[in-house]
Amino acid sequence: MKDPYTILGVSKTATQDEIKNAYRSLAKKNHPDLNPGNKEREAKFKDAAQAYEQIGSPEARAKFDRGETEEAFAGGRGGPYYHEAKAGGDGGRYTYSYGGGGMDDDFFENLFRQSGAGGRGGGRREHGPGEDQLYQMEVEFRDAALGAEREIALPGGKKLQIKIPAGVESGARLRFKGQGGPGLGQGAAGDAFVEIHVRPSSQFTRKGRDVESEASITVYDALLGGEVEVPTLDGNISLKVPPGVSSGSKLRIRGKGIGSKTGERGDQLVALRIVMPKSIPPEMKQMLAEWKEKHPYSAKETK
Amino acid sequence: MKLVISEAARRAGLEPAHIERFILFSWVRPADDDELLLDECDLARCRLIYELQHEFGVNDAAVPVILDLVDQLHRLQAEALRR
Repeated sequence: MKDPYTILGVSKTATQDEIKNAYRSLAKKNHPDLNPGNKEREAKFKDAAQAYEQIGSPEARAKFDRGETEEAFAGGRGGPYYHEAKAGGDGGRYTYSYGGGGMDDDFFENLFRQSGAGGRGGGRREHGPGEDQLYQMEVEFRDAALGAEREIALPGGKKLQIKIPAGVESGARLRFKGQGGPGLGQGAAGDAFVEIHVRPSSQFTRKGRDVESEASITVYDALLGGEVEVPTLDGNISLKVPPGVSSGSKLRIRGKGIGSKTGERGDQLVALRIVMPKSIPPEMKQMLAEWKEKHPYSAKETK
Repeated sequence: MKLVISEAARRAGLEPAHIERFILFSWVRPADDDELLLDECDLARCRLIYELQHEFGVNDAAVPVILDLVDQLHRLQAEALRR
């Protein structure tokens, strides 16, 4: 291993500051990102880094001077150099911001545009993205289920067209790029976020992709079957009730549930509730009493 | 490979605040700009900026100038190699 003092070009009695300065000037000159592909300089850079590791701090230097040479630092840099990483692809982020031409008039223009006024010796200008802003929005149950378009006015008078996606749930945030606070200098504007709050419905509750609701039927409809009008997200429809249903029986209406981005919809489940007549006529009472004798059944078995 | 800022910082041996600052100044443009996820290239660029600042003593105003020159150097070299 070469002598670190020789590599850095300093004497054995050099101060820590002298060593640091010697290392910095070598590092600046030979940094692989400033000399991409130059193996000779890369080797020099690595030698200098290794030498600095050995004598750059008073503790390490004392160890080295005592002869305790550890096999110091084998490229402990934690990853490739920038130009190496970029060769693996940078999606054009750092490569094509110059219009792709050769070194022409744009060169300095780009240079100074990117570096702000500081490049021309003027005052320094800070650049930074604007702040993100969060807004709250209440949405009707039906609009959240099926999707809708709404407009909201932001403070400051700006209007935002909101496309509520079908099937959206409370707490979801929609992002509007560049609609937030203005950027600093040449920084981009921040984003606006709109948080959705779905208003509960008196008729419907949501269960995953399905909508649940209730319908009341007469005891005759329950026994004999019939039809009942039920509200759906698409308006009222007439629902066929099969004979012999119980309270709590659920009827499924396909395709009347919550919408989705793909256009598919869940189902609506209608729970039935049997409502007795307000008064029971004597004939009915007598008829049922006889009927009960002949055809008893247990309420526990029929569920 | 795309990393959140904290994980990227850990791998590069930097503080998350360093990386946040580099992004704020637009010196680093994360591979995933929406979620702020960094790829290997972003990471190496962060490390380069850190070295420029903390080992070479480059100030804030000069960092974008140097990055620009470095990027142009890389591009010109890549073009020269293709010919």
